Amino acid sequence: MTRIAGGLIDRTRTLGFTFNGTRYRGHPGDTLASALLGNGVQLVGRSFKYHRPRGVLAAGSEEPNALVTLGGGAGRTSNMRATMVVLTEGLEAHSQNHLGSLERDLLAINDLAAPFFAAGFYYKTFMWPRSFWEKLYEPLIRRAAGLGALSHLPDPDAYDRGFLHPDLLVIGSGAAGLVAALAAGRAGAQVVLAEEDSRLGGRLLAEGGLLDGAPAPDWVAAVTAELAALPNVRVMPRTVVFGAYDHGIYGAVEQAAPDASQGPHQTLWRITARRAILAAGATERHIPFRDNDRPGVMLAGALRAYANRWAVTGQARAGDPVAVFTNNDDGHRSAAQLAAKGVPVMGVIDPRPEAVSLGDYPIFAGATVTGTRGRRSLQAIQVTRNGRSDWLECGVLGVSGGWNPNVHLASHHRGRPLWDADRLAFLPPADGPQGLISAGAAAGQGSTAAALADGLRAARQVLDDLGRALPPVRLPSAAAEPDGQAAFWHVPGKGRAWVDFQNDVTVKDIALAHQENMRSVEHLKRWTTLGMATDQGKTANVTALAIMADLTGKPIPETGTTVFRPPYSPITLGVLGGGNTGAEFRPRRLTPTHHWAEARGAVFTEAGPWMRAQYYPQPGETHWRQTVDREARAVRAGVGLCDVTTLGKIDLQGRDACAFLNRIYCNQMGTLPPGKVRYGLMLREDGHAFDDGTCARLSETHYVVTTTTANAGPVYRHMEFARQCLWPDLDVHLISTTDAWAQIAVAGPKSRTLLDRIVDGVDLSNAAFPFMACTELTVCGGLRARLFRISFSGELAYEIAVPARYGAALMARLMAAGEDLGVTPYGTEALGLLRIEKGHAAGAELNGQTTAQMLGLGRMVSAKKDSIGAVMSRRGALAEDRRRLVGLAPVDPAQPVVPGSHLFAPGVVQSLDSDAGWITSACHSPHLGHAIGLGYLLDGDARLGQEVIAANPLEGQSVQLQVVSPHFIDPEGARLRD
Amino acid sequence: MTDLAPATAFGVAEPREQSFGTLSLRERPDLALASLALAEDPAPLPQPFGVTLPEPGRMALGDGGLAAVWMAPRQWMLLGEGAADDDFAACVVTAVPEACVTEQTDGWVAIDLQSDDGAAPLARLLERMVNLRPEALTAGCATRTLLAHQSVFVLRRAEDLVTFLGPRSAAGSLWHAVATAAQRLQG
Repeated sequence: MTRIAGGLIDRTRTLGFTFNGTRYRGHPGDTLASALLGNGVQLVGRSFKYHRPRGVLAAGSEEPNALVTLGGGAGRTSNMRATMVVLTEGLEAHSQNHLGSLERDLLAINDLAAPFFAAGFYYKTFMWPRSFWEKLYEPLIRRAAGLGALSHLPDPDAYDRGFLHPDLLVIGSGAAGLVAALAAGRAGAQVVLAEEDSRLGGRLLAEGGLLDGAPAPDWVAAVTAELAALPNVRVMPRTVVFGAYDHGIYGAVEQAAPDASQGPHQTLWRITARRAILAAGATERHIPFRDNDRPGVMLAGALRAYANRWAVTGQARAGDPVAVFTNNDDGHRSAAQLAAKGVPVMGVIDPRPEAVSLGDYPIFAGATVTGTRGRRSLQAIQVTRNGRSDWLECGVLGVSGGWNPNVHLASHHRGRPLWDADRLAFLPPADGPQGLISAGAAAGQGSTAAALADGLRAARQVLDDLGRALPPVRLPSAAAEPDGQAAFWHVPGKGRAWVDFQNDVTVKDIALAHQENMRSVEHLKRWTTLGMATDQGKTANVTALAIMADLTGKPIPETGTTVFRPPYSPITLGVLGGGNTGAEFRPRRLTPTHHWAEARGAVFTEAGPWMRAQYYPQPGETHWRQTVDREARAVRAGVGLCDVTTLGKIDLQGRDACAFLNRIYCNQMGTLPPGKVRYGLMLREDGHAFDDGTCARLSETHYVVTTTTANAGPVYRHMEFARQCLWPDLDVHLISTTDAWAQIAVAGPKSRTLLDRIVDGVDLSNAAFPFMACTELTVCGGLRARLFRISFSGELAYEIAVPARYGAALMARLMAAGEDLGVTPYGTEALGLLRIEKGHAAGAELNGQTTAQMLGLGRMVSAKKDSIGAVMSRRGALAEDRRRLVGLAPVDPAQPVVPGSHLFAPGVVQSLDSDAGWITSACHSPHLGHAIGLGYLLDGDARLGQEVIAANPLEGQSVQLQVVSPHFIDPEGARLRD
Repeated sequence: MTDLAPATAFGVAEPREQSFGTLSLRERPDLALASLALAEDPAPLPQPFGVTLPEPGRMALGDGGLAAVWMAPRQWMLLGEGAADDDFAACVVTAVPEACVTEQTDGWVAIDLQSDDGAAPLARLLERMVNLRPEALTAGCATRTLLAHQSVFVLRRAEDLVTFLGPRSAAGSLWHAVATAAQRLQG
């Protein structure tokens, strides 16, 4: 154990956890990382490429090394940063990316082959042969290089989403964030304070400093209590703001409290904030030197954080000496504080010749660290000064190369951070997201006193913008902190000096990339993989840029940064899904007769969001086609019932409804008299066919337009656009009534007989209610209904509509009333079969690339009036398209007709040039006893009786077909007019 | 009167109900709906059944369970509690003969969300349901918005009462979304 006194942990309680199966103990308040360090565990993982042993580097969100998998079974989660995992009783963690045990990783052999794995290795090596890539190279690379693995089981965790609309979003709860939230909260603004950590305070919890003469965490506790008491402030710990999006929208993920037994595991919040303050602090950078990746080498600020907040010092054995390698005064604070806590400090190695000791520890001024020793944990460091090198015993080395403000969120709109030569750091860009300002260490104001003051400055600016006065806020006094630093970026020399720990990128890799002409920083990133993966190079990027600048001889600002993109921290894909999974992944729409059909054993199919009955199997039927053939035969021989509620219904009224429809449909709709229905075709603006359906005129100023199921939404939108934007002068009113009315197709020669039994005193004779008639009426003793005599099947047929709540009852009544007529419910499969037999176009024919002429409806495009798409339909490319809808039947009736097959003249070489069309729809026709199809064929209308070849080159299929009329059944249309 | 038996949006005879702690959900099949649209006209707006036609984002309550909700420029939805068995649209036509009226009763499922503990539980639930500012959800507000991928009217009829109007065909999905959120709040 390497616990020392103090810390913000609850020593009265212990928590048991396991790491790679070994049991350890920690305390409430610990993270997994601090608990492991407290147990003397330095080796926590293996590196991505070379499988080098790695230990905890940081104490926060930026951790590149200590990635672990939590839990087991379906709930296991990989790539979790041990520094961000709150320790809980029974926590089960495993290290990642090794073959065999963590201590004896067999893939560590990669490290021996390191000279071959230099920058650009993949690009250079796996070029050929091409066929090896998918089957050999990729699986190999994935096996050897990688992070955690998925469970391959459905995620059992619950996720949720939500929306917040504060006046102010404060991102980060360190000195600046707390002051800003407090000021805005006291001013009465609606404030959301988001903190990635489980506890508010940021670096105030880690620095060991005093505020108003008391430990800083005391002040944090007082402010936290006041914020919690303000009803207008919402404090959200364990919440990472991962992205800044347009219009003041921020994405955030809230992790449930570790002790929460119910509720969502994670919540995705969309926060629309009038203003935001980025107080995300800063990330310490390290200084690359030879073998600087040994477990036990960590950031100097992390060393201090572990000591102050978690009371651990990070050595494998208590009593091992601790050292600090720093180019700045802040690094000295770690040494001074550890020394003051009685930890043996071997010294501070500082490359600045003028450096002096700022506490009770030896100083190695003008010196650098040039090497490390130790197998899986640090045992000694090599200190070089004035050409002389000495090996000194050392159990933990803290490294500080200065601090990088966390400018990420301020740069998500492609703003480029600005280089500050005095602070040796990139500051937030001037052209960041509108409404967002940075404060505190994120803005380069890193000392405690400066951060407190800057938080107040930011709050004042925001409250000004919001029209609120800044309330009195007394800032606590903080001691001055020395802030000298030198522009010392890496220790030159032999061996490998690691820049990006997560991606195993060394100083040499950067030099090699430069040598290979990867001069742009974006190229450097792709060539070396620097700054990629889960940590996004938080501890590496700026150092790498500085080294790159060194090599190019350009100043750092000219070298530039790569583009910052969300997410700032890794987030799970599960939470981005927002919690909708399985059957509830998206809304499902059910027809009014859904439950009725379900009770009859119907098989359902998806039609967009709709669930439709596909067919109704009967006992003894062993194949779906038996069922469908029976249903189709029943319609042509007697009467069938099909729920067609899903077809779009648009109620259209107004003085100018008639004129409006005449412009929407390409065919003449103005002459449609009340009480009649007409088939209508709509074109898109570009002249292609858009949708077809019926238009029923119920009265002088009242129409009901029907659309296809798929286009119910698009047609409504199209009409709404025309109404509002194209012809606002017309008095037309639209509203969808698709769901309001249950509509049932009653089709077949006995349909009139059946309907006669339920309508209330309406004469349905052919003379009184002919083909394409419509009326409002009552049925079943007074229920208001609408009846349309229209036919998709080609038979005598009607569609009857009643208020949706009566749909199932009407279906049941029709079934009962038609029992002696052999009434049969039929599904979408028989519906499709019947319409193919009749040659009616559907979605497969109206695929957005077809014209009215192709459909054989060219003459419907009226030349006597203007309508949407009419002019464009006459342009050359469309008007000259010679493909026409035809029927297709196999020459050998035993052969299939396969939709999607392409059509060729017999004997030609099959190529794109000789392609004469394609098959759009096909089915087995029980009435003809063989397969039939519809398709578009070049000059199809002139090729009736000829033979064509239906080819499917992918499957090697080739079938001889005869071109026939698309109307396989009753081409004269006598049945539907009967 | 027809002898056909109506079914609720969930395909059964009785309205669906479910409680989650202080929150309860109740289907309202008795709620009659009719849309009302008016041609451009500088004349004052009519007041069907004495109900004022409200401004955008608002609803107006009348006597006898009547209410009106703004839907679009010069278009409103009229609500009549307990009137779903009547031809409500025909009554509206009688009241405002110059309007274009469309029956909407069965176009929607109406779900009441009632709180026994004032506004707070509703606020907590609504922030997980709809991307609307709390100001747009105070009593008397009515907004059409996206809820669980559906276009839904959120009617704040009172401090402790919200009514969701969603597409009737997707009633099960809407119920699932609201019930899941309510269930989680209870936890």
